[in-house]
Parts: sequence; C-alpha cells; structure tokens
Amino acid sequence: MTSRLARVLKWTAIVVVLLALCGFAAFLYNIPPFFLVSPEEFGNQMAAAAPTVTDIADPAQRAIAERGRYIVMTTGCIGCHARNGGQGPDLTQYLAGGALQIRAPHATYVSRNLTPDKETGLGRRTDDEVLRVLRSGTFSDGHVVDATAMPWASFSNWTEEDRYAVLVYLRHLKPIRHATPEPVKGNAITIPGAIEQDYGGKDYGVPDAPK
Amino acid sequence: MRAIVRYAAVGATVLLTIAAASVRNLAQPRGKAVYDAHCVECHGDAGKGDGPASGFLTPRPRDFTTGKYKIRTTETGSLPSDDDLVQSVRRGLYGTTMPAWDRILSDDEIASVVDYIKSLSPQFAAGSPKPIAIGPGIPSSSDSITRGRTVYDKLQCGKCHGTDGRGTGAVTTSFEDDSRQPLRAADLTEPWTFHGGATARDIYLRFRTGMAGTPMPSFADAATDAEMWDLANYVVSIGRKPVWSMGADEVTALYAKLDADAQRDPIKRGAHLVQALGCDVCHTPLDERKRIIPGLRLAGGLLVRIEPFGDFPTGNLTSDKETGLGNWSDDEIKRVITKGILRDGTRLLPYPMDYASYSTLKPEDLDAIVKYLRTVPPISNKVPRPRWTPLPAFLWGKFKMLILGQDPPMAFFPGNAGTPGGPRR
Repeated sequence: MTSRLARVLKWTAIVVVLLALCGFAAFLYNIPPFFLVSPEEFGNQMAAAAPTVTDIADPAQRAIAERGRYIVMTTGCIGCHARNGGQGPDLTQYLAGGALQIRAPHATYVSRNLTPDKETGLGRRTDDEVLRVLRSGTFSDGHVVDATAMPWASFSNWTEEDRYAVLVYLRHLKPIRHATPEPVKGNAITIPGAIEQDYGGKDYGVPDAPK
Repeated sequence: MRAIVRYAAVGATVLLTIAAASVRNLAQPRGKAVYDAHCVECHGDAGKGDGPASGFLTPRPRDFTTGKYKIRTTETGSLPSDDDLVQSVRRGLYGTTMPAWDRILSDDEIASVVDYIKSLSPQFAAGSPKPIAIGPGIPSSSDSITRGRTVYDKLQCGKCHGTDGRGTGAVTTSFEDDSRQPLRAADLTEPWTFHGGATARDIYLRFRTGMAGTPMPSFADAATDAEMWDLANYVVSIGRKPVWSMGADEVTALYAKLDADAQRDPIKRGAHLVQALGCDVCHTPLDERKRIIPGLRLAGGLLVRIEPFGDFPTGNLTSDKETGLGNWSDDEIKRVITKGILRDGTRLLPYPMDYASYSTLKPEDLDAIVKYLRTVPPISNKVPRPRWTPLPAFLWGKFKMLILGQDPPMAFFPGNAGTPGGPRR
C-alpha cells in the first residue's frame, strides 16, 4: 500500500518536473515574444512612441519639427538609440540611447542619448555639431564614425533642410538623463572582418554614480 | 661689398629653400597622420576616393590621385592653388559630406594634410597652379540681373539646371562625373548647397574655372567676363530663403511644394527614400574593407548572423525576376517592408530589418519606394533562405541571453552570401 503511494508520488513528481521543464523551454522559446505580437501591433507601438509636436507654440517651428518627426520615426533612429528596460526597449524613454553596443574596426560605440539633456544628451552639443554628425559622421574631436555602425552616409543624402528639421525635432524631445559612454578606440571584434552588435536586454549606458 | 651682399643673398635663398623643403618633408608624415585619422572613411587609404562610406555619398568623395579639383581660383585644366585646397578643408564643401575642419583641426594640421594630399598626385610635382586674375566684378543691379538671365539662356544653363534653376534640367536624370559616379546638378535656388560658396565672386569663379571632373565646364571662352559677372548676379538673385529663416506660411508652402514634387516624380522620391533610409547599407554586399562590392548595389547577400536565432542574408532588391523582386507583387513588397513577412509567409525578427518603423511611412512614400525598386536594373544574385538555429542550440542561446544576462553578438559579415550571376539584360 505504501509502496503504491510512493510510486504515484514518484510519477507525479516526474510529470511535474517534466512539465516544468517543458514550460521553461516554451518560455525560452517564446521570450522575447516577437512572434506572439502581431506586426501591426509593433507598427502601432512605433508610431505612438515618437512624441508629437503639437505643444510647440511657434507655428513655423511646429511644421518643421513635424517633418523632422516623420524622418526620425520612419528612419527608425529608435532601432539603435533606444534605452533598454528590463524587457527589451523602453519606448517611453524615446531616443535615450544605450540599447546597443557596436564593435567596429576602429572603435566600439554605444548608441548615444539623443534627447536634449544638458549633461548626458544633445543639450551639450551645438546645432553645428549635431548637423555635422548627421551630414559627415564627424564628432567634435574629429573622430569619424564607422559608416556601417552609424549610417550617417545614408543620412548625408537628406537635404540640409531636412537635417535641420531632424535637429528641431530632437531639440523638442523630453530631456532624459542617461549617460552613454564615449567611443572606445581600438578593435574589439571577435569574428574577423565582421561588424558586431551586442543587442538584447542590457543597458550599455553609464550607471549613475552612487549618491 | 656688393659681391658679398649678392653672395649672402644667394646663400640665404639656398638655405631657405633647403629649410622649406625639409619642413615639407617633415610635414608629410604629420599630414599622413592627420589624413589617416580623419579622411580615410570617405577618401580611402590611398586617397582614391574609395573609402568605406564613399559608395553611399553623392557626390562621391574626391579622388586625390587625379589632381582634379572642382573648387579653384586657377585656370581651367590647372591645378588648384594651396590656398584653394586649404579653404576647401577649412570651410568644407557646402551641400556635400565634406565638413568644415577649421573648428576641429589647427591651421598647421590643415596645411600639413594639404601637403600630404598633394603628394598623392604626380601632377603637383610636374606642374604648378596658374592663378587667374579676378577683376572687381559688376555690382548687382536689376539691369545686371536682367542681362544675367539672358546669359543664362544663351549659355543653355537650363539644360542641366532647369529653366527655373532648380537643378531638374532634361539631362540630369542620369548625371555622372568623369569617373561615372552619380551626381546632382546644383539647385541654383538653394545657395546654401553651392559647394564652393554662394557669393557672386564664388559663383563667378565656377563659371570662369569650370568644375574639373564634372559636366560643369568653364565658360571663359563662351562668355565675356562681364557676362559671367551678370550671370553670377542673376544666380544670386534667384536664391530662396532656407527653411531655417522662414515664417510659418513659407514653411507650409515649401513643404506643400516638396510633397507636390514627390507626387509628380515618385521614382525620384523612392530613390531618395531608399538611400536616405539606408536600405542599401544592408541590402548591398560589402568587401573586406566595408566598401560596396562593385555591381551589386541592392543585390542583397550581406550575411547577418543574429544569435541565437540564425543566419539571415539580406534580400536582393533589384528587379531581377528569378533572384530579386521582379516577380513580387506590389503588396508583397509592401508587406515585407511594413510587416516583415516574406513572400512565403516567414516572419522576420523586428531588428535589424526595422519594419515597425517603416510601417509608419505614408502610403504614397511606400508606393514611391516600390516604384523606384521596379526601376533598379536586374542583377542576378541568388540569396539563400534564412537558416534558423536548430532547437537545442536556440534554447541554449536564449538561456544565455535571458537567464545569464549575456547579450549575444549580432554580426554583419563582409562578402556576398549569394550566388551572383552578373547583370542581366
């Protein structure tokens, strides 16, 4: 009688463990839930993520920022300049950067904070500096960014007026304090010849110093 | 006494020449260091204008080995003066990717890099620049502008720049420079894009000297000096305000005009979007030095390894019927752009093919992209299907990613993962 109970308990335990393993495997298989979310839903999230410009008082600046918004949104700047939360990109922190790290032949880059924060974002860059990166991939210290890491060569084909519109829009974003590291010179590539991106759930930003 | 002075003078000259020559030789390694740090991405290791970014830029970066320069104050066919080169580096070339380096490099560094790029072309050792004498010019007036318009028509400037000056003349659809690289005819109503500057003097110089290596000739033989100054005044007069100086009504009118242009010429709009969105950056295979493999623009085959998911070679976007989009319907092309669903129903990962962002394109822009892709000449390049990682390795990769917190690398490989069959007729 007791041996029978033990057998039932044993088999129950085995089934439970197996079910748990299968559940865990299913979890691993489906997370992040790329293929459980419909493509339309992804698109809607993306359209909703880009802050609107209706609160800009000056009508000329508003119209220009609206064109900039369209370019920023359709080009997918957020594809790299997102900030990762625990579960993938946190779209509420629009363009706060840090979601990915790119290892290119001459340097390792982390996507930058493009919000107008004065200490960690574009608030510390002049208009000329921002436009120069979009036009020529050239930072203020003269470093030329690898064009396969940040596709500035593509953006150089925007007209100067469209680049200005992008600038106006970026200046209008909500400032988010999120420091992203400077490029580290040197080649850290592990697969010879390839360009590597580290991309997943990590935040490659600089953690705030403990207070 | 006189003889001593003469010998001293000759001696000093010789010494100075030697000193100048050795300063030059010293300057070269320094110039090369500046060049290697700042110029290679566009102009290439050897200065041939073939750096990694070059294939995506219009106009293409200068090839320093030819000794041909657009922006000069010297005779047609002549080399540029040192000052011409220094100015181009200092202030950059407006309307191109070349930035103004005066805020980044010191005057010494600029002088040394100019010496270095001169050393890349044998022409500079063989010849010397022939500066032109520039007269005082003709001050702008309504008479001069009216005469300038007559000159504009007489010299047939409209053939390239359009009768309205907007750079949309009849021949500009297939505009190329001497090395057969794509080029835009200047839009004369947008003075901030004039490569060499937008003063009447700058513009006069372009007529007078021509822009070497481009279809823009010198008009020194076809027009008088006075005619060229009148023409320069006319070109200055048709310049419009840039958007950053406009009021609300002007901005609205400008954008309405740009939209109307896009509707009238969707193929041009589509070509712009494909370039500006960077479709060609991934859908073109690159060589070991990250340059476009010649003849394979938009033919796909760049291998993207997305761990732990698998290998995803980029698709052939040319109009080839067997290996490209030739047999895809418009809706199928739009579906993959906006939903990441391939023709056979396979769903793509949301990154790096960022369909969620592309789904925010306006319908007319999507149409324009499709219309343009239909016009891309067919290139046969059979790209293999995505190869997904086998289940155990996939689960192990996910475990490392989600539980161990390692971000696995996504790698973009050089070379062509497809099987090219060359251009088709």
